Amino acid sequence: MPDGSFAQQPQQRQFNPYTENGGTILAIAGADFTVIAGDTRQSEGYSIQTRYAPKVFRLTDRAVLAVNGFAADGNMFVKKVKQRLEWYRHAHAKDMPLRAIARLIQTMLYAQRFFPYYVYNILGGIEEDGSGAVYSFDPVGSYEREACRAAGAAQALVQPFLDNQIYFKNQMAAAGQSHPLHLPLSDVLAIVIDSFTSATERHIEVGDGLEMYVVLAKGRSSQGLDGLRGAQEISTTNDGDRVFVIRRELKKD
Amino acid sequence: MQVDISRLKAGEVNLGTSIMAVQFKDGVIVGADSRTTTGSYIANRVTDKLTHIHDRIYCCRSGSAADTQAIADMVHYQLQMYTQMSGGPPSVHVAASIFNSFCYENKDALSAGIIVGGWDKEVGPSVYNIPLGGGLFRQPWAIGGSGSTYVYGYCDATYRDGMSKEETVEFVKNTLALAMSRDGSSGGVIRMCVITEDGVERLFVPGNELPRFWEGEEVISGKKRVDTAEPMTVEA
Amino acid sequence: MASPSVYNGSGFDFSNVTRNSFLEGRGLPLPKATSTGTTIVGCVYRDGIVLGADTRATEGPIVADKNCEKIHYIADNIRCCGAGTAADTEFTTALIASNMEMHALSTGRKPRVVTAMTMLKQMLFRYQGHIGAALVLGGVDATGPQLFTIHPHGSTDKLPYVTMGSGSLAAMAVFESGWKPDMSREEALALVAAAISAGIFNDLGSGSNVDACVITATQTDFLRGFVKPNERVEKERRYVFKRGTTAWKKEEIKNLVVSETVVGHGEQMDVS
Repeated sequence: MPDGSFAQQPQQRQFNPYTENGGTILAIAGADFTVIAGDTRQSEGYSIQTRYAPKVFRLTDRAVLAVNGFAADGNMFVKKVKQRLEWYRHAHAKDMPLRAIARLIQTMLYAQRFFPYYVYNILGGIEEDGSGAVYSFDPVGSYEREACRAAGAAQALVQPFLDNQIYFKNQMAAAGQSHPLHLPLSDVLAIVIDSFTSATERHIEVGDGLEMYVVLAKGRSSQGLDGLRGAQEISTTNDGDRVFVIRRELKKD
Repeated sequence: MQVDISRLKAGEVNLGTSIMAVQFKDGVIVGADSRTTTGSYIANRVTDKLTHIHDRIYCCRSGSAADTQAIADMVHYQLQMYTQMSGGPPSVHVAASIFNSFCYENKDALSAGIIVGGWDKEVGPSVYNIPLGGGLFRQPWAIGGSGSTYVYGYCDATYRDGMSKEETVEFVKNTLALAMSRDGSSGGVIRMCVITEDGVERLFVPGNELPRFWEGEEVISGKKRVDTAEPMTVEA
Repeated sequence: MASPSVYNGSGFDFSNVTRNSFLEGRGLPLPKATSTGTTIVGCVYRDGIVLGADTRATEGPIVADKNCEKIHYIADNIRCCGAGTAADTEFTTALIASNMEMHALSTGRKPRVVTAMTMLKQMLFRYQGHIGAALVLGGVDATGPQLFTIHPHGSTDKLPYVTMGSGSLAAMAVFESGWKPDMSREEALALVAAAISAGIFNDLGSGSNVDACVITATQTDFLRGFVKPNERVEKERRYVFKRGTTAWKKEEIKNLVVSETVVGHGEQMDVS
């Protein structure tokens, strides 16, 4: 203090190890596929740290994990999950099944119950029965299997849209008809793209780039994915479940 | 009563400053740096902190930019009224007294440290210091703002009574340059006003022409830094 | 219902202050005001002033308005860009615009920029920063081109190029590297657009379009949507709901046509 007064009231300060890095992720399960997507902007406050920081990661040929919240925790968590899956491969000579990965993630998150990973996880992929599946987690490991889930900065904007378009909430089916249980891949991709372009319009922390991972069940046709603009296959084998990634630009303001 | 007058309101524009005024034979020289900050951002790097109050009276402002501008505007107004009613220019003491009453009466709402300098026909050159909570002190020289704490010793060692204009300009220039080099809230250019009976002369020292002092041997002489440790070599 | 009357004084109504501070003490947060987390700039060029602004208004992290106007009218030859609390910039500039018109009418002279600047700084100082308006004021008057910034606490700066708002650092970086004296209208407009764009793309509080305003001694050009680098892409699907999608609980049809018989009364008007 310039006037020499140091002794006022006692002040308590604490180091805050967490930061919120913005961005949004979502996943939608189809009958025999799953789409897991996230934007690529990483921000802090009003500043953009980078326009390309992936939030969606391929774990195996049938499992993709999206992490959102505190980026440093997210990256560390993905790294540790990947390590556990690697150990599983060495022990059992196969990839861990999706539902087992989900349970693994639960225990890994709950192990940090009193110093949590500050991240929301969404796990998407193909179950052993060949069906598309989405598992969503809270930061301390509570999880459930769902057909669709949005998380992150624009969750409040995207989830109601998904409830309406995927679960057909607040929509009456036409007389004598019923709503479909699952949507085809082309419709799901369109809904995902529209979710992110719309979230970019109305949320300042969403934008720059979009990464959509598509996991296709074994033996299914690529459903036009091969010809899709910006689509690229990243699976390690051709005879199992297959993983594709589709990249799109989002607005940068 | 404990009044925390040193604290600025959140987001307030700050003149974390180096200012000074020195009396010499024929007049007064007032000087200031030019930095205005909001937190760590320099909102204005060429600020004019030497504010015209009357024909032969200037003030140096430090503290809150808003508070000191408002006070200076009000004193300026009061002196215009005074001039019209009394039929002649005010003395420096009158100007400084008005500053003092504003600063003292509103000490719980203001953060303003002001130095008033000028020339009048009653006493010739004079310098008045009005520190943070008010108070009126006539001094042969005065320094103020956050940068001033670094240069009290230099001023005590250097100031002499009865200096010439040229000597005083050098004194002010050197003092401010030293304060600006040590204080992160001060910087930019040096502005000075030489106030004498004949008029006011403005002086300007650009940032790249500031007097330089010891900055470390290698900076002054251009000599390369001598590494005391030998670099490690790896055998092939 | 309150209405303008002799019982209400002019100016702000402070009657809810006690109630609100009580509610705040009980843990009810006050509603968030729309803030124009903004980039606004101004620069002097050969023939006058160019002002610039982005067009995003935010409420926390949500974009409240994608194309709002932040360059406000003060007088024919004076404009003012506003950052900070949207309502404060809106009302403060409107009030000063009104007072400037009155001043011009009573003096019979073209208004000066310093007059507006002094009115604004005195008002903002009086409210001790509680009116959250950060302004860039520019115009051309009898004394030539004038450009000022006014901070919420009432301090002012007079500079050849200025920026304000959350994107001010990004915009100032452009000015500090690109500004030079005596620029042409085209050069100045390009520099202002580049400065605002720096804010739009690098500051999350700023976005959408570039508005610009060129003021010279003879005319003022407001260039709404001067650059539009952020048009929305076409949506992948159409979201039109089929008739019958919305459920209802009951159906009731009211006849809104009122029929009445008009009975002749007194003498018929002569319309011949």
